[in-house]
Parts: sequence; structure tokens; C-alpha cells
Amino acid sequence: MATNLLELNEVQKDYRIRKYGRVVRTYNALNKLSFKVEKGQIFGFLGPNGAGKTTTIKCITGILKCDEGTITIDGKNIENNDFENKNKIGFLPEQVGLYRSLTAIETLKFYGGFYSLSDSVIEERGNKLLDILGLGNSSKKTVNEFSLGMRKRLALATALLHKPEILILDEPTSGLDPRGVKALRTLLLDLNKDGLTILLSSHILSEVQELCTDVGIIHNGKMIRQESISKIIETVEKTAIKLSLRVNEFNEDSEKLLQKKKGIEIIEQKNLGKHQKIILKLKEDLIPWVTDKLVANGLKIFSIEPHNTTLEDVFLTETEEDNGS
Amino acid sequence: MDLREKATNRWKENYTWQPLLIAISIVIIIAIIHKAHWEITTETDPLSVWNERIMVENDNMTTITYNDEKLLNKTTTFKGVLEIFPYTNTSIGSPEQSNGTFDEMDGLVYNENSYKKCMISLNGMRILVNGSLDGKFYKNEVVTVDAVLIERNFTYERNGATIELESQIWEAEINDITLADERDYYFFSIEFIIFAIGLYFSLKRIKNLKEQISFAKHIALFEFKRGLKTPRMIVLGLIFFVFIVGMGMLLGQLQNDSDSILGTMTTKGSIVQLSYFTFMIGSMVAIGVSVDTFHKERQENTMNLLLARPINRETIVLGKALGLTLVVGVPALIAQIIGLYFMVTRGEMPPIGSMFAFLFFGQVMIFTMVTFQLCLAISARSGSSVVIYGLSAWLLFALVWALVVIAMATVIGVDINGENFENDPDYQQFASRIGLLNPGVIYQMVVGLFTSRTLAIDLEGVPGWLALLSVVLWPLMCLRTATWLFKREMKG
Repeated sequence: MATNLLELNEVQKDYRIRKYGRVVRTYNALNKLSFKVEKGQIFGFLGPNGAGKTTTIKCITGILKCDEGTITIDGKNIENNDFENKNKIGFLPEQVGLYRSLTAIETLKFYGGFYSLSDSVIEERGNKLLDILGLGNSSKKTVNEFSLGMRKRLALATALLHKPEILILDEPTSGLDPRGVKALRTLLLDLNKDGLTILLSSHILSEVQELCTDVGIIHNGKMIRQESISKIIETVEKTAIKLSLRVNEFNEDSEKLLQKKKGIEIIEQKNLGKHQKIILKLKEDLIPWVTDKLVANGLKIFSIEPHNTTLEDVFLTETEEDNGS
Repeated sequence: MDLREKATNRWKENYTWQPLLIAISIVIIIAIIHKAHWEITTETDPLSVWNERIMVENDNMTTITYNDEKLLNKTTTFKGVLEIFPYTNTSIGSPEQSNGTFDEMDGLVYNENSYKKCMISLNGMRILVNGSLDGKFYKNEVVTVDAVLIERNFTYERNGATIELESQIWEAEINDITLADERDYYFFSIEFIIFAIGLYFSLKRIKNLKEQISFAKHIALFEFKRGLKTPRMIVLGLIFFVFIVGMGMLLGQLQNDSDSILGTMTTKGSIVQLSYFTFMIGSMVAIGVSVDTFHKERQENTMNLLLARPINRETIVLGKALGLTLVVGVPALIAQIIGLYFMVTRGEMPPIGSMFAFLFFGQVMIFTMVTFQLCLAISARSGSSVVIYGLSAWLLFALVWALVVIAMATVIGVDINGENFENDPDYQQFASRIGLLNPGVIYQMVVGLFTSRTLAIDLEGVPGWLALLSVVLWPLMCLRTATWLFKREMKG
């Protein structure tokens, strides 16, 4: 049975806006947020801007303290075991801030110094990590000379230096070139194979779909869905799939006909010259009804193909539903 | 939530510091007992007793008496400050001086009986001491005197007529005078031990203390190495170095140059003056170096990576404060030693204790100014605010403090209209007490304190122990405030 490495239970976090030291306004960032990450998972943490992803990550990594609720790592509350838990976490923030006057190896030595690692161990592990991350030749260059992508990779090296049990990445691929993204993906999969649990937040949903085993969707500070990717897509497909039709003479009557039918939604209409492309969102059992009605209306159907449901579709559906509710 | 519940929660939140808080409470109780002890066992306001003296002058008779007859021929222990040193360094009433003059204030007629005796002023009260105090006690020292009120008869001439004087005079033997520090040290030792025990148990409650100390050292060394290389520090350090060394040379010269337009300095005065110059420029460098520490880190997002490490927020603030203190303190210490060397070689050597205080408390002062600036840097919302706050603090503490004191003295009604108002005891007392709000003034006070042989000394209205306590409390309070602000800031 899989065990939970990270567990958030009803975590509440409010930001306080101060003026002259007095709190003048508060706004809620996390609203009784709960989710679990099992050992060995690559957990994708999704949510629109302002949903509370970064706040959640900051609470887990101890940068911020939550107001209520508990966060446990390996069953231990981070509140009482800050030191032990932080030793288990590797963290890569979205906006990487490194001391510009330090060289790559000095940076690793500085951050490695907080894990009771000797200089020789830091050098050995650091050089290895720099090689893997494509910074092997830049170990003696100062951070000032690094591009944004290089800084991000160096920060990742600092996060991996102490061999953490869980790696937390906030938008890890932003600022990386395609080669860097690919190298990172390979590295993360390799690390996961070696047993490292990964939690990553990303806006690039295709990447999450490709990399993650499980996802959680957060919206307005609440977890609105958490499941394995395959299951989540399966569930969505049960309720609605996308269907792409290439037809001719798709007129207003046909459009009204489809719109009137409950459970069918026209997502896109495109003129392809002789033909028109219509993308519908509908329940699977309504496909025969659609084809019958369109043919009865005098339309010719040249092609009909289902669209694969992507994580993006799930994401948009879930967050829209939550907005609606 | 009611008040009791709030207090209980706050107490629980401060689990780590509970032993220290208990210890401080006990120390406060002991301090009250200490104060009460002096009040019960001694008369701590000799002037009020002295003011009860009634002088009646008739045609051929003058009497000086006290209303309270119980005082007569009884020993009363007074505690007070030797305001002025015994009138002469040897004795009063040498055969040549014993000319039968009646001194109204002293309440006696100088004659051969007063030969080899001396008159001391204890908070304004005159006590005749049988013997010379030369080299035994010094001005501003706090002493206890077991004095006896004795009735003496004299005769003196007034307008050609012989007048009889019946005067009640406070008299004491040399052995009846002791420095008040003996009993003070007893109380201070107990207070210090209790404080140390509280601190020890609080530190024991800090989780992973050993690691946190090593992290603080790690950050401090990192900041030190980084800070020393910055162009800002190189420029400020050079200014500091030239200024302190130059001032040391000048103050040494002034000790021997009676014709100097700048005036002549005493040896003790020189080191106090050098400490002022050290503060003036040292505080500027300390503020300049730490002006953007936290603010810049927040802007460049370097703090997030640090906060995600297994390090306490307190350790981060402490490490940075120590590191920045080293950045300023190490060059400052070298400059101070060289400045002191020139001052001593060109002038005279001040007491060893004062040189130690000058160097050691110089570092404490730099730490204080660094942590003070960290408080401002953490609270400020923009880079320009940090600079303005820092500059204002430096101007206030180092340059315009005297004007601020004069303004405040005027507001509260201290008379500053006289020509020599700076020597007016009321003004001096006000200036000294308000000076406890300025780390620079405290630094000078402590260096001045260590030119004396005892803590039982009055620094123009401020007891020596209070100056010493202030020099310790200031950096601790600044550090605690910086930590609190940082934690609050990082809490979101």
C-alpha cells in the first residue's frame, strides 16, 4: 500500500496588508486546502493564476506559515519538525534569486552549508549535478554571467544537493529553452525512478500530462480535484467528449438544431473553403443522434473523429465549473 | 477570546523563552529588593536631610540645628554621590588657612581643629571627614557614609564682634566611607547568575541549537566575505580608517598642547572623545553597509531559497547581523587600535579598562547600529525609504543629537538660557538620561565609566550600572525587534 509523503489537511492562509504596522486588509489565499502526495508520485499541481499554488508551495517549504490546518511530511507535522522536514525537501522557486557575485560552485557550497555537508561532498555532488544539468563547464563562472535558464538549473542543483525525499518545483520550465526543458524532463523522470517524489506546479499542461502521474487542481485556494491523470481524463470523457466533424453547408438551421439539444455544445466552427469544421462537446451516446439529424438536414459528413481529452480540457472544465458554482 | 486565554496562548507560543522570561521576572524582583535594601538601610537622599538644617543668627550668637533631635549623636548611613571632590586634595584647615573664617554652607569655623580634615559633599550635603581622602575616593563615585551628627561650638568675628557658633555638623571617619559597589556587586552577581540560568535553559529549548549556531556562523562568514569586497565598504572603510587614526593623533597631541585653539584634552577626556568620533563614523559605515540587506534580498528573491533551508528565521537575522558587524567591525577594530596607539604615544595612556571598553564596546556599538538598520531595512517598502530612514537615524544619533536634547529640554522646562547652561546640573542630568536613547551616547558613557575604577559611579544623573545595562540591552532589543519584524514580514 502506498504511503503518503506529503499531506495537507484543511490548510488556511490569509495575507495581511499592513499600513504603518497595522493590518488594514486581509485576503484569503488558501481555503481549507487538503491534498495528499504519495511516495514515488510525480504530482502536478495545477490552477489558474492567483489560485494559491505558490502560496501552498511556500507553506509546504516553510517560507510562509499557514494560519490553520496541518502540513505533514512523512507523517510529521512541519510545525514541530521544521528542521527535520526541511532536510527532506528540495525546492526550486519560480523566480530564482541567487547571489550574483558567487560562482556556481560557491553557490552550491553556500546552500549546501545548511545541510551539514562537507565541502568535499558538496564539490563532488555539485559537480556531478552541474554536469547533468549542462553547467559542467560553467562551475567557475559567477551567477551574474548566467542566463535565466542557467540560473534555474543552478538553483535546481542546489535543491538536489542534499538528496531530498521530495522535490518541489514551482513552474520549473519557465525561462528554459526547449533543450533545457527536455533535459529537465529526463532528469526528473530519472530522479523519480530512483524514488524521488516530485511535486510540481506548472502552467504548461501538456508538460504536466506528459510528466505527472497524478494531478491536483486548485482554484480559489481550494482543491477541486485530485486524481491520477488517467482516471481524471476517463471521468471527464464519461461526461463529455469532443467530436470533430467535417461537413458541408452547415447553416443556421443546423446550428440551432444542435444548440437546442440538451448535452451538446458547439465549441468551434471553422470555414475550410468547401467544407466546414465543427467541434462539438457532447455525451458519447449522442453521436448517432447528431449524425442522423445533420444528414436528415441535407448535410454531407465527410469525416468524423473524436478529439482526445487533454489535461487542458479537464483543467478548463473544472475551473469553469468551480467559477459557476 | 478573553484576556486570560490570550495571555495563556501567548505564554505557550513563547515556550522556548519561558525560562528566560521567568528569570527576567525574578531579576526584576531582585532589582526591586536591591533598591528597597538601599532605601531601608541607608538614607538615599542626603540633600533632603541637609535642607532641614535651620540657621538662626542673633547679635552674638549663631545656631545651626536640625529639627529632628533624634539625629543628634546618632550614626546615620547616607548613600549618595561625591559631587565635588573634597575641597582640597590633602586637607582643609592647614595652619595657614585656619584663620577663623565662618563658612555658612559648611556650618563651621575653620580653625586648627579642622587641620588635616576634609569636607565632602554628598549629593550637596556637607560631611566633615576626619582625615584626608586623597587618592581614596574620586568625584562622582557613589559612596555610603556612616556619619554622626555632632554639636560643635566655635567662635568667629563678625563686624568686629565675637560671635558664638553652635553648629550641628555631620562628621565621619575615613573608615566610615565605603564605595557602594560592594553591596551592588552582590546583588548584580545574583541577578546575573539568575539571568544566565534562564538564558541557558531557554537556549536548551531551541531545537537543533548546535546546527543553528553553525548556520549563523555560516551566514556570518558568507556576509563577511561578500561585504568586505563591495566597493561601498572599501570606500567607507577607508574614510573610517583615515578619520579614526587622524583623530587619535590629534587627541594625543591636544593632551600636551596647551596653546591649541581646540583646547587641551585630559587623558580620560581624550578616549571618551575618540569614542564619539568612532561612533560618528562607525555608525555611518554600519548603516551604509547594512542599508539594503533584507530589502535587496526581497527584491532579488534570494530570501526564498534561504528560507526553504532548515534554518530558523532568528538564525538568519543573527547570522546577517553578525556578518555585517564583522564587515564593519574588523576594519574598525584595526583603525581603533592604530588610532589609540597614536593617541597614547602622543599623549598619555588612559586606564586600561577604558581602552578595553573603547575597543570592545565599539564592536557592540557597531552591532547595535547594524541591527538597528536591519529593523529599518526589514520594515521599509522601497529602496529609497531604507536609505532615508538610515540617513535620518545617523543624523539624529551622530550629528544633531545635542540640538534635539536642547529642544527637548526647552519643551520640558529645563532652563537653558544661562551662558553655561551645559554645566547646569539639571540640564546635564536631563541630557544624560535622554542620552540612554542614543547608542552613541551610551557608548561614550560606558567608555567614560571604564575610566573609573568602579561601577558605583554617577554619570551626570545616570548610574554607571544603568549605562552598562543599556549598552547590553540596546543590541539585544534591536536584534529582537529585527527578528520579530522579519518573522512578521515572512509570515505574510
